[in-house]
Amino acid sequence: MHNDIRQLRTAKGLSQGQLAAAMGVSRQTINSIETGRYTPSLPLAIALAQFFTRPVEEVFHANGTP
Amino acid sequence: MPTAPPDPPQTTPRQPPRRVWESPWWLAGTSLVLGLAMLAAAWIGGHPAGGVVMLGVMVAVGAVFLLGGRSETIRLMGQPDERWRAIDLTATAITGLVLITVLIGAFLWELAHGRDGAPYTQLAAIAGVTYLAALLILRWRS
Repeated sequence: MHNDIRQLRTAKGLSQGQLAAAMGVSRQTINSIETGRYTPSLPLAIALAQFFTRPVEEVFHANGTP
Repeated sequence: MPTAPPDPPQTTPRQPPRRVWESPWWLAGTSLVLGLAMLAAAWIGGHPAGGVVMLGVMVAVGAVFLLGGRSETIRLMGQPDERWRAIDLTATAITGLVLITVLIGAFLWELAHGRDGAPYTQLAAIAGVTYLAALLILRWRS
């Protein structure tokens, strides 16, 4: 699943480790989400979207939809 | 001139609390208890030297859990998040599938050699009953 986590994170000037600490997950998990290797659970996806104050469907895109 | 990154956001972690058996100390303690059980069993069976070797291996495994350093795999075994729990679940399923496959193969091997298949018959039966029970319970709970 494609997502905009990396762009949103870098726009905020955060490192993967800082975002991971805020979400209560490991840095490697954030990296895996950004690269599309891991699809987060619904609670984590919602938490990430809330963190960036975006609707979840604007952050995560199923099958490459914009 | 580069600027320092902002302070990490202060939000509540959204992961479930760590369960007691996910602590590195729990993993290391379990390794030690298993090693002592192996030593006792080997001692009772008349092979104390082998038991000491097994205890040494289990102590080393426990030390790896405690002193995993920068290894993500070792560290996350004690501090798992949701991705690690998913990996752990898949790894457990693969382990179970391999074991069941080996059990069935060994059962057939024993049968083909004129034996009754024990103890593989019973072990495969336990695996099958456990799987069915887990299916029923998990379906009932979900």
